[in-house]
Amino acid sequence: MNLVIKRAKVSKTFQVAIICLLMSIETFIGSIEIRNPLMLASGVLGTTYSTLQRAYKAGLGAVITKSIGPRSRSGNPNPSVFALHEIRSLINSVGLANPGYQTFRQDIEQLVKSETPTVVSIFGENQTEFSEVLDGLKDLNILGFELNLSCPNTEKGGSQIGTDTEAVYSIVKALKSKTNLPLWVKLTPNVSDIIEIADAAVKGGCDAIVAINTLKAMVIDIQTKQPILGFKRGGLSGSAIKPIGIRYIYDLYENFREKIPLIGVGGIYKGEDVVEYLLAGATAVEIGSAIGVAYPENIIRTITMKIKKYMKEHDYSSIGEITGGAHR
Amino acid sequence: MIKQTLPNTKPIMCKIVDKEEECEDTYTFLLEVPVEVKSAKPGQFIMLWVPGVDEFPIGIAGFENNILEIGIAKMGEGTEALLKKEIGDYLGIRGFYGKPFKTPKKVKVNHLLIGGGFGMTPLKLLTTNLIHQEEKQEIHVFEGARNKSRLMYLKWFQHLHDEGKLIFHACTDDGSYGYKGFPTVDLEKFLQEVEGPSIFYVAGPERMMKAIFDIGKKYDKVIDMQMSLADRYMRCGFGVCSYCAVDPTGWRICVDGPIFNTKQLEQITDFGVYKRLETGEKERI
Repeated sequence: MNLVIKRAKVSKTFQVAIICLLMSIETFIGSIEIRNPLMLASGVLGTTYSTLQRAYKAGLGAVITKSIGPRSRSGNPNPSVFALHEIRSLINSVGLANPGYQTFRQDIEQLVKSETPTVVSIFGENQTEFSEVLDGLKDLNILGFELNLSCPNTEKGGSQIGTDTEAVYSIVKALKSKTNLPLWVKLTPNVSDIIEIADAAVKGGCDAIVAINTLKAMVIDIQTKQPILGFKRGGLSGSAIKPIGIRYIYDLYENFREKIPLIGVGGIYKGEDVVEYLLAGATAVEIGSAIGVAYPENIIRTITMKIKKYMKEHDYSSIGEITGGAHR
Repeated sequence: MIKQTLPNTKPIMCKIVDKEEECEDTYTFLLEVPVEVKSAKPGQFIMLWVPGVDEFPIGIAGFENNILEIGIAKMGEGTEALLKKEIGDYLGIRGFYGKPFKTPKKVKVNHLLIGGGFGMTPLKLLTTNLIHQEEKQEIHVFEGARNKSRLMYLKWFQHLHDEGKLIFHACTDDGSYGYKGFPTVDLEKFLQEVEGPSIFYVAGPERMMKAIFDIGKKYDKVIDMQMSLADRYMRCGFGVCSYCAVDPTGWRICVDGPIFNTKQLEQITDFGVYKRLETGEKERI
């Protein structure tokens, strides 16, 4: 194909563009194949079927919903999300606001109907709640579940569970016995040893590790001397946390190698950021802040083209070949 | 000419430089924006932070020499705390967010601005811009309220009416000022008689807007209807959270709106029927 394009009398830039367009970048996360390694991170554009559908149509490989719990929940008071311009990041304390799985089921059904590859993020305060949500949704034709064991914006559950190796092991094991659908575990970076937690999840039988969730953070207004977030404390995402995410994926890959697929999240704005996560050891990535802030249609196209261009320049023929490249 | 827009960042603290009672239970606040910025466009909104209490979207009524004008009515805990703020206190703003009203250039149309309650704030800024446009076009403002004491910016609109800059159609439920009845009835009467193409610019309660939309659809001379869905629940204001998104298009009111035109409104099946709560659940309007 390359030869045919080269023979045609067209400019070099045009040739590269055509080659990139034709290049395939599907990837596997365990047994799941997605059309490209870019997925929508949970919590961004994920509250309604229509925004999730829109994000997928914009060119993503799959979408992850907002974390869904057993009951409807209002979350924390506003301000609950704002940008930090100077570090191209966001801080949030949404606090797992969600309609509850029984209501959200209708949105998932719409996604299934429109053939949107969907991973449903679920949370609970304990194993019983996790089981209730999983049982209520496991009959749907979805890609799998992402267990949110790491939300920093609640008094109970979330990252409390995610920092306890025994709780992680027993929840994953219990849920795994209930379904054949893949279970991904999203980890919090707010621990002293992420490997220990990941190991518990792997031993429990999870099908992929997603790292990282937001970092504990806070912003205070010095004029009024008030914490700005309604919940006072929050979680940081965006560019500021990318080097931290890269480090965690690198460490996880070094420890687990091909034993468990890794999904990198945190601060991806450009194609180069995706490549960096792949080189660190990820097989796919999730993008949050960047997609939400921009028009998904524009940013996904730009990122995809950049990845393909990199693959051409470095002679890669598949995403899998890039994974873990920084460890060789 | 200043090109800079406000960065999308944490609330920018602005000092309250004036506070006046506008009408019953409603106050006008003037805020001094500490950085020199490009003017706000009519229909755009800000996220207003009342420190330690709440943050919510609010329409922009005016912006001149870095002074931002907003109108606040008592609606909940947040606005109640806000109304207790005095000159010299600080409030935080994020924005200016969203797509504005679009007025056609070089096409002769009747501009019909229709609103009620809070909705009058973006329409005030739109009026200011329209009367400064070089091409003289007819401007009609339809405002509805329960009674005279609740008509927002009554003196301001009446003054412009008296000066011949626009035609003000006030409507009150009790007939204490202007036409007795809903603005929808007055508007339809007007449409039957008016000549030439007209454009609607509407802001107010969504049920009222839906009724106006249905009226406008009946008349070919209504060439576009632009309506503000800014009074829906919002968290972030800049597109990340999707709590304000409408079905089935997935448009985010804060980024893809809040002003939507006829073609877009026809695609939004939620319009006038459902809105989302802070949980993401839908509630009938």
